[in-house]
Amino acid sequence: MLDIPAIHVNRLTKSFCRDKKALNDVSLSIADGEMVALIGASGSGKSTLLRHIDGLVQGNKGSADQRLCCIDVLGRPVQSCGKIRRDVRRTRADIGFIFQQFNLVGRLSVLTNVCMGFLGRIPAWRGAGALFTRDEKLQAMEALARVGIADLAGQRASTLSGGQQQRAAIARTLVQRAKIILADEPIASLDPASSTRVMETLAEINRADGITVVVSLHQVDYATRYCPRTIAMRNGEIAFDGSSERLSHDFLVKLYGSDSEELIMGHKLHPKAADQTAIVQELLKHEALSHAAV
Amino acid sequence: MPTTFTLPHRPLKESLAYYLGWAALLALLTLSWEGADMRPGELIRDSANMAKFLSGFFPPSFTEWRMYANEMIITVEVAVWGSFLAVICSIPLGILCAENMVPWWICQPVRRLMDACRAINDMVFAMLFVVAVGLGPFAGVLALWINTMGTLAKLFSEAVEAVDPRPIEGVRATGANWLHEVVFGVIPQVMPLWISYSLYRFEANVRAATVLGIVGAGGIGQSLWENIRGFNYADTAAILIIIIVSVSMIDALSQYLRKKFV
Repeated sequence: MLDIPAIHVNRLTKSFCRDKKALNDVSLSIADGEMVALIGASGSGKSTLLRHIDGLVQGNKGSADQRLCCIDVLGRPVQSCGKIRRDVRRTRADIGFIFQQFNLVGRLSVLTNVCMGFLGRIPAWRGAGALFTRDEKLQAMEALARVGIADLAGQRASTLSGGQQQRAAIARTLVQRAKIILADEPIASLDPASSTRVMETLAEINRADGITVVVSLHQVDYATRYCPRTIAMRNGEIAFDGSSERLSHDFLVKLYGSDSEELIMGHKLHPKAADQTAIVQELLKHEALSHAAV
Repeated sequence: MPTTFTLPHRPLKESLAYYLGWAALLALLTLSWEGADMRPGELIRDSANMAKFLSGFFPPSFTEWRMYANEMIITVEVAVWGSFLAVICSIPLGILCAENMVPWWICQPVRRLMDACRAINDMVFAMLFVVAVGLGPFAGVLALWINTMGTLAKLFSEAVEAVDPRPIEGVRATGANWLHEVVFGVIPQVMPLWISYSLYRFEANVRAATVLGIVGAGGIGQSLWENIRGFNYADTAAILIIIIVSVSMIDALSQYLRKKFV
Protein backbone atom coordinates (compact mmCIF):
# COMPACT_ATOMS: atom_id res chain seq x y z
CA MET A 1 0.00 0.00 0.00
CA LEU A 2 2.87 2.33 0.82
CA ASP A 3 4.23 2.59 -2.69
CA ILE A 4 0.85 3.39 -4.27
CA PRO A 5 0.75 7.14 -4.82
CA ALA A 6 -2.29 9.05 -3.55
CA ILE A 7 -2.66 10.74 -6.92
CA HIS A 8 -1.13 9.61 -10.15
CA VAL A 9 -1.71 11.52 -13.38
CA ASN A 10 -0.21 10.09 -16.53
CA ARG A 11 0.17 12.25 -19.65
CA LEU A 12 -3.17 14.04 -19.32
CA THR A 13 -4.17 16.35 -22.15
CA LYS A 14 -7.36 18.35 -22.35
CA SER A 15 -8.56 20.77 -24.98
CA PHE A 16 -11.85 22.58 -24.62
CA CYS A 17 -11.63 24.16 -28.06
CA ARG A 18 -9.99 22.50 -31.01
CA ASP A 19 -6.55 24.03 -31.06
CA LYS A 20 -6.00 25.47 -27.59
CA LYS A 21 -4.92 23.01 -24.95
CA ALA A 22 -6.01 23.69 -21.37
CA LEU A 23 -3.77 20.87 -20.22
CA ASN A 24 -0.88 19.61 -22.28
CA ASP A 25 0.70 16.28 -21.47
CA VAL A 26 0.59 16.68 -17.70
CA SER A 27 2.10 13.93 -15.57
CA LEU A 28 2.52 14.02 -11.83
CA SER A 29 2.59 11.81 -8.82
CA ILE A 30 1.71 12.82 -5.29
CA ALA A 31 2.53 10.55 -2.37
CA ASP A 32 0.24 9.79 0.52
CA GLY A 33 0.27 12.51 3.20
CA GLU A 34 1.87 15.25 1.13
CA MET A 35 0.75 18.86 1.17
CA VAL A 36 1.25 20.28 -2.29
CA ALA A 37 0.61 23.73 -3.69
CA LEU A 38 -0.47 24.12 -7.28
CA ILE A 39 0.41 27.60 -8.45
CA GLY A 40 0.00 29.48 -11.68
CA ALA A 41 -1.72 32.48 -13.18
CA SER A 42 -5.43 32.33 -13.88
CA GLY A 43 -6.06 30.21 -16.94
CA SER A 44 -2.91 28.16 -16.47
CA GLY A 45 -4.89 24.96 -15.92
CA LYS A 46 -4.83 24.54 -12.13
CA SER A 47 -8.60 24.20 -11.69
CA THR A 48 -8.93 22.05 -14.78
CA LEU A 49 -6.32 19.65 -13.46
CA LEU A 50 -7.98 19.35 -10.04
CA ARG A 51 -11.40 18.82 -11.62
CA HIS A 52 -9.95 16.03 -13.74
CA ILE A 53 -8.54 14.32 -10.68
CA ASP A 54 -12.01 14.30 -9.07
CA GLY A 55 -13.55 12.96 -12.30
CA LEU A 56 -15.73 16.04 -12.77
CA VAL A 57 -14.33 16.58 -16.28
CA GLN A 58 -12.96 14.07 -18.72
CA GLY A 59 -9.64 14.42 -20.48
CA ASN A 60 -8.93 13.97 -24.16
CA LYS A 61 -9.23 10.52 -25.60
CA GLY A 62 -5.52 10.25 -26.22
CA SER A 63 -4.16 7.21 -27.99
CA ALA A 64 -5.39 3.67 -27.64
CA ASP A 65 -2.58 2.94 -25.20
CA GLN A 66 -4.37 2.46 -21.86
CA ARG A 67 -1.66 4.20 -19.92
CA LEU A 68 -2.13 7.52 -21.71
CA CYS A 69 -4.40 10.26 -20.38
CA CYS A 70 -5.23 8.34 -17.26
CA ILE A 71 -5.64 9.31 -13.63
CA ASP A 72 -5.45 6.96 -10.66
CA VAL A 73 -6.41 8.01 -7.16
CA LEU A 74 -5.40 5.77 -4.25
CA GLY A 75 -4.61 3.05 -6.77
CA ARG A 76 -8.09 3.15 -8.31
CA PRO A 77 -8.62 4.50 -11.81
CA VAL A 78 -10.72 7.68 -12.05
CA GLN A 79 -10.55 8.06 -15.80
CA SER A 80 -8.55 6.84 -18.72
CA CYS A 81 -8.52 7.76 -22.40
CA GLY A 82 -11.25 10.37 -21.97
CA LYS A 83 -13.70 8.07 -20.20
CA ILE A 84 -14.67 8.53 -16.59
CA ARG A 85 -14.98 5.22 -14.77
CA ARG A 86 -18.49 4.07 -13.88
CA ASP A 87 -17.51 3.54 -10.25
CA VAL A 88 -16.09 7.06 -9.94
CA ARG A 89 -18.52 7.86 -7.11
CA ARG A 90 -16.72 5.42 -4.83
CA THR A 91 -13.43 7.18 -5.49
CA ARG A 92 -15.02 10.61 -5.16
CA ALA A 93 -16.21 9.64 -1.68
CA ASP A 94 -12.54 9.41 -0.70
CA ILE A 95 -11.74 12.80 -2.20
CA GLY A 96 -12.83 15.96 -0.45
CA PHE A 97 -13.21 18.80 -2.92
CA ILE A 98 -13.06 22.42 -1.77
CA PHE A 99 -14.29 25.00 -4.26
CA GLN A 100 -13.42 28.64 -4.70
CA GLN A 101 -17.10 29.57 -4.32
CA PHE A 102 -17.61 27.07 -1.44
CA ASN A 103 -20.50 25.37 -3.32
CA LEU A 104 -22.61 24.86 -0.24
CA VAL A 105 -26.39 24.70 -0.65
CA GLY A 106 -27.34 28.11 0.66
CA ARG A 107 -30.90 27.35 1.72
CA LEU A 108 -29.97 24.32 3.80
CA SER A 109 -28.53 24.48 7.30
CA VAL A 110 -24.80 24.29 7.86
CA LEU A 111 -25.33 20.97 9.64
CA THR A 112 -27.19 19.44 6.68
CA ASN A 113 -24.49 20.70 4.32
CA VAL A 114 -21.84 19.00 6.44
CA CYS A 115 -23.93 15.81 6.71
CA MET A 116 -23.82 15.58 2.90
CA GLY A 117 -20.32 14.26 3.44
CA PHE A 118 -21.98 10.97 4.44
CA LEU A 119 -23.81 10.57 1.12
CA GLY A 120 -21.09 8.49 -0.51
CA ARG A 121 -20.90 6.09 2.44
CA ILE A 122 -24.43 5.46 3.73
CA PRO A 123 -27.13 3.45 1.90
CA ALA A 124 -28.42 5.46 -1.05
CA TRP A 125 -32.08 5.40 0.06
CA ARG A 126 -31.18 6.82 3.46
CA GLY A 127 -29.21 9.61 1.81
CA ALA A 128 -32.01 10.40 -0.62
CA GLY A 129 -34.41 10.86 2.26
CA ALA A 130 -31.89 13.00 4.16
CA LEU A 131 -32.28 10.49 7.00
CA PHE A 132 -29.04 11.04 8.88
CA THR A 133 -28.78 9.29 12.21
CA ARG A 134 -28.22 11.09 15.49
CA ASP A 135 -24.73 9.65 15.63
CA GLU A 136 -23.92 10.97 12.15
CA LYS A 137 -25.21 14.41 13.08
CA LEU A 138 -23.01 14.37 16.17
CA GLN A 139 -20.02 13.45 14.01
CA ALA A 140 -20.87 16.41 11.79
CA MET A 141 -21.01 18.64 14.86
CA GLU A 142 -17.60 17.36 15.90
CA ALA A 143 -16.20 18.27 12.48
CA LEU A 144 -17.77 21.73 12.73
CA ALA A 145 -16.22 22.18 16.17
CA ARG A 146 -12.86 21.23 14.75
CA VAL A 147 -13.01 24.00 12.14
CA GLY A 148 -14.35 26.35 14.82
CA ILE A 149 -17.92 27.04 13.69
CA ALA A 150 -20.01 24.57 15.73
CA ASP A 151 -22.13 27.46 17.02
CA LEU A 152 -23.37 28.18 13.48
CA ALA A 153 -24.61 24.64 12.78
CA GLY A 154 -28.31 25.54 12.79
CA GLN A 155 -28.03 28.54 10.48
CA ARG A 156 -28.66 28.54 6.76
CA ALA A 157 -25.35 28.26 4.93
CA SER A 158 -26.10 31.43 2.95
CA THR A 159 -26.05 33.52 6.15
CA LEU A 160 -22.38 32.69 6.80
CA SER A 161 -19.41 34.80 5.77
CA GLY A 162 -17.14 33.51 3.01
CA GLY A 163 -14.49 32.29 5.44
CA GLN A 164 -17.09 30.50 7.57
CA GLN A 165 -18.64 28.87 4.49
CA GLN A 166 -15.22 27.64 3.39
CA ARG A 167 -14.63 26.14 6.84
CA ALA A 168 -18.04 24.44 6.64
CA ALA A 169 -16.94 23.01 3.29
CA ILE A 170 -13.78 21.69 4.96
CA ALA A 171 -15.93 20.16 7.72
CA ARG A 172 -17.86 18.39 4.98
CA THR A 173 -14.66 16.76 3.72
CA LEU A 174 -13.82 15.71 7.29
CA VAL A 175 -17.21 14.03 7.65
CA GLN A 176 -16.55 12.39 4.32
CA ARG A 177 -13.41 10.91 5.92
CA ALA A 178 -11.67 11.89 2.74
CA LYS A 179 -8.16 10.58 2.33
CA ILE A 180 -7.33 13.32 -0.12
CA ILE A 181 -8.43 16.95 -0.15
CA LEU A 182 -8.35 18.83 -3.43
CA ALA A 183 -8.79 22.54 -2.80
CA ASP A 184 -9.44 24.67 -5.89
CA GLU A 185 -8.47 28.26 -5.09
CA PRO A 186 -9.96 27.93 -1.61
CA ILE A 187 -8.84 31.39 -0.53
CA ALA A 188 -9.24 33.37 -3.74
CA SER A 189 -12.60 34.80 -2.61
CA LEU A 190 -11.55 35.47 0.98
CA ASP A 191 -9.99 38.35 2.90
CA PRO A 192 -6.44 37.87 4.25
CA ALA A 193 -7.52 36.94 7.80
CA SER A 194 -10.00 34.30 6.59
CA SER A 195 -7.44 33.07 4.06
CA THR A 196 -4.91 32.43 6.78
CA ARG A 197 -7.54 30.71 8.89
CA VAL A 198 -8.56 28.39 6.04
CA MET A 199 -4.95 27.57 5.13
CA GLU A 200 -4.11 26.87 8.80
CA THR A 201 -7.10 24.51 8.97
CA LEU A 202 -5.99 22.64 5.85
CA ALA A 203 -2.41 22.39 7.13
CA GLU A 204 -3.61 21.14 10.52
CA ILE A 205 -5.74 18.42 8.88
CA ASN A 206 -2.75 17.41 6.77
CA ARG A 207 -0.47 17.22 9.83
CA ALA A 208 -2.85 15.60 12.31
CA ASP A 209 -4.75 13.18 10.07
CA GLY A 210 -2.14 12.56 7.42
CA ILE A 211 -4.62 13.55 4.71
CA THR A 212 -3.05 14.37 1.36
CA VAL A 213 -3.81 17.97 0.43
CA VAL A 214 -3.44 19.55 -2.99
CA VAL A 215 -4.29 23.21 -2.95
CA SER A 216 -4.30 25.52 -5.94
CA LEU A 217 -3.30 29.09 -5.21
CA HIS A 218 -2.28 32.08 -7.10
CA GLN A 219 -0.31 33.70 -4.34
CA VAL A 220 3.15 32.21 -4.07
CA ASP A 221 3.73 33.26 -0.48
CA TYR A 222 0.90 31.04 0.79
CA ALA A 223 2.45 28.16 -1.11
CA THR A 224 5.87 28.66 0.45
CA ARG A 225 4.41 29.19 3.91
CA TYR A 226 2.14 26.12 4.05
CA CYS A 227 3.25 23.61 1.45
CA PRO A 228 6.62 21.84 1.35
CA ARG A 229 6.16 21.01 -2.32
CA THR A 230 4.96 23.23 -5.14
CA ILE A 231 3.87 22.40 -8.63
CA ALA A 232 3.85 25.45 -10.87
CA MET A 233 1.78 25.52 -14.03
CA ARG A 234 2.02 27.68 -17.11
CA ASN A 235 -0.18 27.44 -20.19
CA GLY A 236 -1.44 23.98 -19.26
CA GLU A 237 1.99 22.53 -18.65
CA ILE A 238 3.95 21.82 -15.51
CA ALA A 239 6.72 24.39 -15.41
CA PHE A 240 8.15 23.49 -12.03
CA ASP A 241 7.75 20.64 -9.58
CA GLY A 242 9.85 20.59 -6.47
CA SER A 243 10.57 22.01 -3.05
CA SER A 244 8.79 25.29 -2.35
CA GLU A 245 12.02 26.70 -0.95
CA ARG A 246 13.47 26.83 -4.43
CA LEU A 247 10.86 29.33 -5.54
CA SER A 248 12.94 32.49 -5.56
CA HIS A 249 11.62 35.71 -7.05
CA ASP A 250 14.09 35.69 -9.88
CA PHE A 251 13.04 32.18 -10.67
CA LEU A 252 9.34 33.13 -10.71
CA VAL A 253 9.96 36.14 -12.88
CA LYS A 254 11.90 33.98 -15.26
CA LEU A 255 9.13 31.39 -15.17
CA TYR A 256 6.14 33.63 -15.60
CA GLY A 257 7.43 36.81 -17.19
CA SER A 258 4.68 39.40 -17.17
CA ASP A 259 2.33 37.08 -15.28
CA SER A 260 4.65 37.05 -12.28
CA GLU A 261 3.30 40.30 -10.91
CA GLU A 262 -0.07 38.72 -10.26
CA LEU A 263 1.57 35.74 -8.59
CA ILE A 264 3.87 37.69 -6.34
CA MET A 265 1.17 40.20 -5.37
CA GLY A 266 0.48 37.99 -2.36
CA HIS A 267 3.74 39.25 -0.87
CA LYS A 268 1.93 42.44 0.11
CA LEU A 269 1.23 40.63 3.35
CA HIS A 270 4.92 40.59 4.20
CA PRO A 271 6.57 43.62 5.78
CA LYS A 272 9.08 43.95 2.98
CA ALA A 273 6.34 43.91 0.36
CA ALA A 274 7.04 47.38 -0.97
CA ASP A 275 10.68 46.62 -1.81
CA GLN A 276 9.81 43.34 -3.45
CA THR A 277 7.11 44.82 -5.63
CA ALA A 278 9.57 47.46 -6.69
CA ILE A 279 12.14 44.82 -7.57
CA VAL A 280 9.61 42.85 -9.58
CA GLN A 281 8.56 45.96 -11.43
CA GLU A 282 12.20 46.73 -12.19
CA LEU A 283 12.67 43.24 -13.52
CA LEU A 284 9.51 43.44 -15.60
CA LYS A 285 10.56 46.77 -17.06
CA HIS A 286 13.91 45.29 -17.87
CA GLU A 287 12.27 42.34 -19.59
CA ALA A 288 9.92 44.58 -21.54
CA LEU A 289 12.89 46.64 -22.74
CA SER A 290 14.81 43.59 -23.81
CA HIS A 291 11.74 42.38 -25.70
CA ALA A 292 11.46 45.76 -27.38
CA ALA A 293 15.11 45.58 -28.36
CA VAL A 294 14.50 42.29 -30.13
CA MET B 1 -24.06 83.63 -26.69
CA PRO B 2 -27.03 81.33 -27.40
CA THR B 3 -26.12 77.68 -27.87
CA THR B 4 -28.00 75.71 -30.49
CA PHE B 5 -29.13 72.20 -29.78
CA THR B 6 -29.78 69.47 -32.28
CA LEU B 7 -32.25 66.72 -31.61
CA PRO B 8 -30.95 63.15 -31.76
CA HIS B 9 -31.64 61.81 -35.22
CA ARG B 10 -33.55 58.60 -35.52
CA PRO B 11 -32.14 56.28 -38.16
CA LEU B 12 -34.46 55.75 -41.13
CA LYS B 13 -34.43 51.98 -40.73
CA GLU B 14 -35.56 52.22 -37.13
CA SER B 15 -38.44 54.64 -37.77
CA LEU B 16 -39.56 52.61 -40.78
CA ALA B 17 -39.80 49.51 -38.62
CA TYR B 18 -41.73 51.52 -36.06
CA TYR B 19 -44.41 52.66 -38.51
CA LEU B 20 -44.56 49.30 -40.23
CA GLY B 21 -45.21 47.68 -36.86
CA TRP B 22 -48.20 49.91 -36.23
CA ALA B 23 -49.46 49.38 -39.79
CA ALA B 24 -49.27 45.62 -39.34
CA LEU B 25 -51.28 45.79 -36.11
CA LEU B 26 -53.89 47.98 -37.79
CA ALA B 27 -54.14 45.60 -40.72
CA LEU B 28 -54.59 42.63 -38.39
CA LEU B 29 -57.39 44.35 -36.52
CA THR B 30 -59.18 45.34 -39.74
CA LEU B 31 -58.94 41.88 -41.25
CA SER B 32 -60.33 40.30 -38.10
CA TRP B 33 -63.30 42.69 -37.92
CA GLU B 34 -65.57 40.74 -40.24
CA GLY B 35 -64.77 37.29 -38.85
CA ALA B 36 -65.24 38.39 -35.25
CA ASP B 37 -68.69 39.74 -36.16
CA MET B 38 -67.97 43.12 -34.58
CA ARG B 39 -71.22 45.11 -34.14
CA PRO B 40 -70.49 47.94 -31.71
CA GLY B 41 -73.26 50.09 -33.24
CA GLU B 42 -75.92 47.71 -32.00
CA LEU B 43 -74.68 48.03 -28.43
CA ILE B 44 -75.62 51.70 -28.57
CA ARG B 45 -78.73 51.40 -30.74
CA ASP B 46 -80.26 48.63 -28.64
CA SER B 47 -78.96 49.89 -25.32
CA ALA B 48 -82.49 49.86 -23.93
CA ASN B 49 -82.63 46.06 -24.35
CA MET B 50 -79.25 45.77 -22.65
CA ALA B 51 -80.48 47.78 -19.69
CA LYS B 52 -83.57 45.61 -19.42
CA PHE B 53 -81.44 42.48 -19.51
CA LEU B 54 -79.14 43.78 -16.81
CA SER B 55 -82.03 44.86 -14.61
CA GLY B 56 -83.06 41.21 -14.48
CA PHE B 57 -79.97 40.55 -12.31
CA PHE B 58 -81.19 42.92 -9.60
CA PRO B 59 -81.90 42.32 -6.86
CA PRO B 60 -79.94 39.04 -6.62
CA SER B 61 -81.95 36.23 -5.11
CA PHE B 62 -80.18 34.53 -2.23
CA THR B 63 -83.03 32.20 -1.27
CA GLU B 64 -81.02 29.15 -2.35
CA TRP B 65 -77.69 30.43 -1.00
CA ARG B 66 -77.09 27.37 1.19
CA MET B 67 -77.09 25.11 -1.84
CA TYR B 68 -74.90 27.48 -3.82
CA ALA B 69 -72.43 27.87 -0.95
CA ASN B 70 -72.29 24.11 -0.62
CA GLU B 71 -71.56 23.74 -4.33
CA MET B 72 -68.92 26.44 -4.12
CA ILE B 73 -67.20 24.46 -1.36
CA ILE B 74 -67.27 21.36 -3.59
CA THR B 75 -65.78 23.51 -6.38
CA VAL B 76 -62.88 24.52 -4.15
CA GLU B 77 -62.42 20.91 -3.04
CA VAL B 78 -62.17 19.80 -6.67
CA ALA B 79 -59.50 22.45 -7.22
CA VAL B 80 -57.64 21.34 -4.06
CA TRP B 81 -57.41 17.71 -5.16
CA GLY B 82 -56.74 18.48 -8.80
CA SER B 83 -53.93 20.84 -7.84
CA PHE B 84 -52.47 18.52 -5.21
CA LEU B 85 -52.22 15.54 -7.56
CA ALA B 86 -50.75 17.80 -10.24
CA VAL B 87 -48.07 19.19 -7.91
CA ILE B 88 -47.07 15.71 -6.69
CA CYS B 89 -46.69 14.42 -10.26
CA SER B 90 -44.97 17.58 -11.49
CA ILE B 91 -42.06 17.17 -9.06
CA PRO B 92 -40.55 14.14 -10.85
CA LEU B 93 -41.87 15.24 -14.26
CA GLY B 94 -40.43 18.73 -13.82
CA ILE B 95 -37.00 17.22 -13.17
CA LEU B 96 -37.37 14.88 -16.15
CA CYS B 97 -38.25 17.85 -18.41
CA ALA B 98 -35.12 19.79 -17.42
CA GLU B 99 -32.31 19.75 -19.97
CA ASN B 100 -29.61 20.12 -17.33
CA MET B 101 -30.74 17.09 -15.33
CA VAL B 102 -31.47 14.32 -17.85
CA PRO B 103 -30.25 13.33 -21.33
CA TRP B 104 -32.25 14.63 -24.29
CA TRP B 105 -33.83 11.24 -25.02
CA ILE B 106 -35.66 11.43 -21.70
CA CYS B 107 -36.23 15.17 -21.63
CA GLN B 108 -37.75 15.54 -25.10
CA PRO B 109 -40.41 12.78 -24.94
CA VAL B 110 -41.51 13.84 -21.45
CA ARG B 111 -41.75 17.44 -22.62
CA ARG B 112 -43.91 16.50 -25.61
CA LEU B 113 -46.20 14.53 -23.30
CA MET B 114 -46.53 17.55 -21.03
CA ASP B 115 -47.19 19.77 -24.06
CA ALA B 116 -50.11 17.53 -24.93
CA CYS B 117 -51.50 17.69 -21.37
CA ARG B 118 -51.25 21.46 -21.47
CA ALA B 119 -52.51 22.03 -24.99
CA ILE B 120 -55.91 20.45 -24.39
CA ASN B 121 -58.18 22.64 -22.31
CA ASP B 122 -59.43 21.34 -18.98
CA MET B 123 -63.06 21.59 -20.20
CA VAL B 124 -62.24 19.12 -22.95
CA PHE B 125 -60.60 16.75 -20.46
CA ALA B 126 -63.64 17.18 -18.20
CA MET B 127 -66.00 16.10 -20.99
CA LEU B 128 -63.83 13.07 -21.68
CA PHE B 129 -63.58 12.07 -18.02
CA VAL B 130 -67.33 12.47 -17.54
CA VAL B 131 -67.69 9.74 -20.13
CA ALA B 132 -64.94 7.67 -18.50
CA VAL B 133 -65.79 7.90 -14.79
CA GLY B 134 -69.33 9.28 -14.84
CA LEU B 135 -70.89 12.61 -13.93
CA GLY B 136 -69.64 14.39 -10.83
CA PRO B 137 -66.70 16.13 -9.19
CA PHE B 138 -64.25 13.23 -9.65
CA ALA B 139 -64.23 13.84 -13.40
CA GLY B 140 -63.41 17.47 -12.62
CA VAL B 141 -60.52 16.48 -10.35
CA LEU B 142 -59.02 14.29 -13.07
CA ALA B 143 -59.41 17.01 -15.70
CA LEU B 144 -57.68 19.65 -13.55
CA TRP B 145 -54.99 17.17 -12.57
CA ILE B 146 -53.94 16.35 -16.13
CA ASN B 147 -54.12 19.90 -17.44
CA THR B 148 -52.35 21.46 -14.43
CA MET B 149 -49.67 18.78 -14.48
CA GLY B 150 -48.78 19.82 -18.02
CA THR B 151 -48.42 23.44 -17.02
CA LEU B 152 -46.62 22.89 -13.72
CA ALA B 153 -44.12 20.38 -15.10
CA LYS B 154 -43.04 23.00 -17.63
CA LEU B 155 -42.82 25.78 -15.05
CA PHE B 156 -41.00 23.50 -12.59
CA SER B 157 -38.48 22.44 -15.24
CA GLU B 158 -37.78 26.06 -16.16
CA ALA B 159 -36.94 26.73 -12.51
CA VAL B 160 -34.67 23.67 -12.49
CA GLU B 161 -32.87 24.83 -15.62
CA ALA B 162 -32.10 28.15 -13.94
CA VAL B 163 -30.46 26.71 -10.80
CA ASP B 164 -26.91 27.51 -9.79
CA PRO B 165 -24.84 24.45 -10.84
CA ARG B 166 -22.13 25.03 -8.24
CA PRO B 167 -23.94 23.64 -5.16
CA ILE B 168 -24.91 20.60 -7.26
CA GLU B 169 -21.26 20.05 -8.07
CA GLY B 170 -20.52 20.41 -4.37
CA VAL B 171 -22.96 17.58 -3.63
CA ARG B 172 -21.56 15.49 -6.50
CA ALA B 173 -18.02 15.84 -5.16
CA THR B 174 -18.98 13.99 -1.96
CA GLY B 175 -19.60 10.81 -3.96
CA ALA B 176 -23.37 11.36 -4.07
CA ASN B 177 -25.55 9.80 -6.77
CA TRP B 178 -27.94 11.53 -9.18
CA LEU B 179 -30.92 11.34 -6.83
CA HIS B 180 -28.87 12.87 -4.02
CA GLU B 181 -27.90 15.72 -6.31
CA VAL B 182 -31.60 16.37 -6.98
CA VAL B 183 -32.65 16.14 -3.33
CA PHE B 184 -29.82 18.22 -1.86
CA GLY B 185 -28.64 20.37 -4.75
CA VAL B 186 -31.72 21.13 -6.85
CA ILE B 187 -34.87 20.94 -4.72
CA PRO B 188 -33.72 23.37 -2.01
CA GLN B 189 -32.87 25.91 -4.70
CA VAL B 190 -36.16 25.70 -6.60
CA MET B 191 -38.47 25.24 -3.60
CA PRO B 192 -39.61 28.87 -3.22
CA LEU B 193 -40.43 29.18 -6.92
CA TRP B 194 -42.17 25.81 -7.02
CA ILE B 195 -44.39 26.73 -4.08
CA SER B 196 -45.21 30.03 -5.69
CA TYR B 197 -46.11 28.41 -9.03
CA SER B 198 -48.21 25.75 -7.28
CA LEU B 199 -50.25 28.33 -5.40
CA TYR B 200 -50.73 30.31 -8.60
CA ARG B 201 -52.07 27.25 -10.34
CA PHE B 202 -54.34 26.51 -7.40
CA GLU B 203 -55.89 29.98 -7.77
CA ALA B 204 -56.36 29.41 -11.47
CA ASN B 205 -57.86 25.98 -10.79
CA VAL B 206 -60.50 27.40 -8.45
CA ARG B 207 -61.57 29.70 -11.28
CA ALA B 208 -61.47 26.87 -13.78
CA ALA B 209 -63.47 24.58 -11.48
CA THR B 210 -66.36 27.06 -11.35
CA VAL B 211 -67.23 26.23 -14.96
CA LEU B 212 -66.47 22.49 -14.98
CA GLY B 213 -70.05 21.87 -13.82
CA ILE B 214 -71.32 23.04 -17.22
CA VAL B 215 -70.15 19.76 -18.71
CA GLY B 216 -71.29 17.81 -15.65
CA ALA B 217 -67.96 17.56 -13.87
CA GLY B 218 -69.21 18.84 -10.52
CA GLY B 219 -69.20 22.07 -8.63
CA ILE B 220 -71.13 25.32 -8.88
CA GLY B 221 -70.92 25.47 -12.67
CA GLN B 222 -73.92 23.22 -13.00
CA SER B 223 -76.26 25.53 -11.04
CA LEU B 224 -74.82 28.49 -12.90
CA TRP B 225 -75.56 26.91 -16.25
CA GLU B 226 -79.06 25.80 -15.28
CA ASN B 227 -79.98 29.26 -14.02
CA ILE B 228 -78.65 31.01 -17.11
CA ARG B 229 -80.54 28.65 -19.38
CA GLY B 230 -83.72 29.08 -17.31
CA PHE B 231 -83.47 32.91 -17.52
CA ASN B 232 -83.25 33.04 -13.68
CA TYR B 233 -80.96 36.07 -13.67
CA ALA B 234 -81.57 36.90 -10.01
CA ASP B 235 -80.22 33.50 -9.00
CA THR B 236 -77.42 33.79 -11.56
CA ALA B 237 -76.43 37.07 -9.94
CA ALA B 238 -76.33 35.41 -6.52
CA ILE B 239 -74.10 32.63 -7.83
CA LEU B 240 -71.79 35.11 -9.55
CA ILE B 241 -71.46 37.06 -6.29
CA ILE B 242 -70.64 33.89 -4.37
CA ILE B 243 -67.99 32.99 -6.97
CA ILE B 244 -66.47 36.46 -6.92
CA VAL B 245 -66.25 36.53 -3.12
CA SER B 246 -64.80 33.01 -2.86
CA VAL B 247 -62.27 33.45 -5.64
CA SER B 248 -61.13 36.81 -4.24
CA MET B 249 -60.68 35.29 -0.81
CA ILE B 250 -58.65 32.39 -2.15
CA ASP B 251 -56.53 34.71 -4.30
CA ALA B 252 -55.77 36.86 -1.27
CA LEU B 253 -54.89 33.85 0.86
CA SER B 254 -52.67 32.37 -1.82
CA GLN B 255 -50.94 35.69 -2.40
CA TYR B 256 -50.26 35.94 1.33
CA LEU B 257 -48.78 32.43 1.38
CA ARG B 258 -46.66 33.09 -1.70
CA LYS B 259 -45.17 36.19 -0.09
CA LYS B 260 -44.33 34.08 2.97
CA PHE B 261 -42.38 31.57 0.93
CA VAL B 262 -40.46 33.74 -1.49
